[in-house]
Amino acid sequence: MRRRAVILLPLIVVVLLFAANGVLRQRLADAVESFPTPRPAVPPGWPAPRYDFSANPVTASGFELGRRLFHDPRLSRDGSISCASCHQQFAAFAHLDHRVSHGLNGANGTRNAPPLFNLAWQPELMWDGAIHNLELQPLAPLGNPVEMGETLEGVLPKLRADAGYRRRFEAAFGPGEIDSRRMLLALTQFVGTLHSADSRYDRDELSAQEREGLALFRQHCASCHREPLFTDYSYRGNGLDADSADLGRSVISGKAEDRGRFKVPSLRNVAVSAPYMHDGRFDTLAQVLRHYASGIQDSAALDPALRGGLSLNPEQQQALVAFLESLTDEAFLQDDRYAEPLP
Amino acid sequence: MRRAALLILAMLPGLAACGRALELDAEIDISHVVGSEPLRLDEGQYRNAAGEAFTVQRLRYYLSLPRLRRADGSWFEPQHPAESADAYHLVDEAKAESRRLRITGLPAGKYVGIEFLLGVDDARNHAGAQTGALDPARGMFWTWKSGYIFLVLEGTSPQSPASGGRYSYHVGGGEPSLARRIYLPFGERPIRVEERVKPTVHLAVDVGALLSAVNPVRIAQLPEAMDPVAARPLADNAAAMFRVDHLHHEPRRRGGG
Ligand code: HEC
Ligand code: HEC
Repeated sequence: MRRRAVILLPLIVVVLLFAANGVLRQRLADAVESFPTPRPAVPPGWPAPRYDFSANPVTASGFELGRRLFHDPRLSRDGSISCASCHQQFAAFAHLDHRVSHGLNGANGTRNAPPLFNLAWQPELMWDGAIHNLELQPLAPLGNPVEMGETLEGVLPKLRADAGYRRRFEAAFGPGEIDSRRMLLALTQFVGTLHSADSRYDRDELSAQEREGLALFRQHCASCHREPLFTDYSYRGNGLDADSADLGRSVISGKAEDRGRFKVPSLRNVAVSAPYMHDGRFDTLAQVLRHYASGIQDSAALDPALRGGLSLNPEQQQALVAFLESLTDEAFLQDDRYAEPLP
Repeated sequence: MRRAALLILAMLPGLAACGRALELDAEIDISHVVGSEPLRLDEGQYRNAAGEAFTVQRLRYYLSLPRLRRADGSWFEPQHPAESADAYHLVDEAKAESRRLRITGLPAGKYVGIEFLLGVDDARNHAGAQTGALDPARGMFWTWKSGYIFLVLEGTSPQSPASGGRYSYHVGGGEPSLARRIYLPFGERPIRVEERVKPTVHLAVDVGALLSAVNPVRIAQLPEAMDPVAARPLADNAAAMFRVDHLHHEPRRRGGG
């Protein structure tokens, strides 16, 4: 049995390389390009993910197709904006330097583009939890007039008209028309496997000051920014405004007390994903810490844990910033498999 | 070899049953009306109970998970592959073929009523990317808050304060859901599903009732209902839109559907 495999394997590879049709060649190229293809994985001690990949199994071709769609500006109405325009890898797929998103014709949105990683664990997406399934999330930026300004009726014909996409969709999902479901599943294979769990914190390589920061973090912050994902995915008020301009969670829940409450964000890679908060009001982590220590505004939305502010002296604030900087996952930021693909 | 043969033998009665059952169906035909007048998109001029004049430019809604009731109170529920959206039907006044649906795989017998969901059930409303009638490309999916729009009614009214005198009602979402189960008894006589007889149920669906049945809607006060809170009064009216207009039996051609 084993011996037969040894003889057959090179033969299969040779057949694929030379005799195969475009689709099989595409699959081979995808396997090489994405090698080793990022797969859904649960690090030890992490909870079970919320998105179920068993109905959308990740393949090399599905992942590569998703990566291409993510970086393709043709997904926007005038061909100028891709997902990656607002979600940049070096910023952990947040939008560096932009307080609020910046889309079609320079139009501004109202919210800060969040970093993208470990999305399979999120029970709901967006700052207010408006979207409850990762597969459907791309419909929001695609259809938003100040983001990509496109429609499915507009984008699908562009993909169908492209021979490269036709081959790639077939390599990923088999024969059949390019439809919205296949497009959404491929994007999900890409964004759903943006996986970040390899910071110095994860490797337990913290300095003395960072360790002190971790202790303070567990005392003051971890009730909301819960390890290991650094969020409990609840919607809370952290005292940014006495009267929030953005209705926040209340738009979705319909509850008045949720006005100005937002999803607790993860803090992994937070040192590279400035600016901070749903409206991008803070540029540095030092400003964020000053806010928690002395800038808390009272309101009905404010979480009781933060009433009156946290008592943190300047050294403690510095230690906390040092700890937050240890949450950067360099390998994730540099990972070529997530980068813009070659044309 | 023997085992394979046995397997095939064991499957034969099942296959035969499937084959026969598949031939039998019932048809549901839908006509839209406003009160006693037929609905004509764009052209028809109507009045609601509050006396406001209006036109209708768009009427679309989901009829989902139909099932037929037998005289003994039990139900026939069509079975579909788990992934498919075959149990979901998008009715669009602008598309004649969408106003006709078939219930297939019916066992022969008598049925006394039909039930369906106006809207999409929670399980499918919260699921991921779907196809067929539930393809988000059909334009019935909200993107600001994920979930399907169960019913769309749009048009104009001189009483509307909105720009262009437009009014727009999008009913969907909600906790509890704005989807409504609707049961329509066939009345005195049940429908007959037989090898030689094919029944058609003609439904009349009244847009007027959507605006007035339980909660009278004034377009002047409600030119837009685009979220579950604003649309709840309309959802509560929606069940009263549907009635069985008449039933109809015709010979079924042998071998055909
Ligand atoms: C114009 C900028 C812009 C573009 C283009 C854009 N996004 Fe976003 N993205 C945002 C903003 C802003 C948010 C937060 C929106 C909110 O919370 O209301 C967001 C949120 C997200 C989230 C949710 C993250 C979380 O933690 O909840 C995901 C996933 C995402 N985007 C993926 C994509 C994909 C895939 C595309 C391309 C189809 C895309 N984005 C295109 C700006 C953009
Ligand atoms: C009561 C819950 C709660 C506590 C306690 C809390 N936070 Fe937050 N944190 C939030 C919420 C909610 C947000 C998002 C608020 C918004 O954008 O409107 C947030 C945002 C942040 C951000 C911005 C992240 C980004 O990507 O924009 C940082 C950094 C942060 N918190 C750090 C901390 C630190 C450090 C502590 C402890 C000193 C702490 N938080 C304590 C709830 C909390």
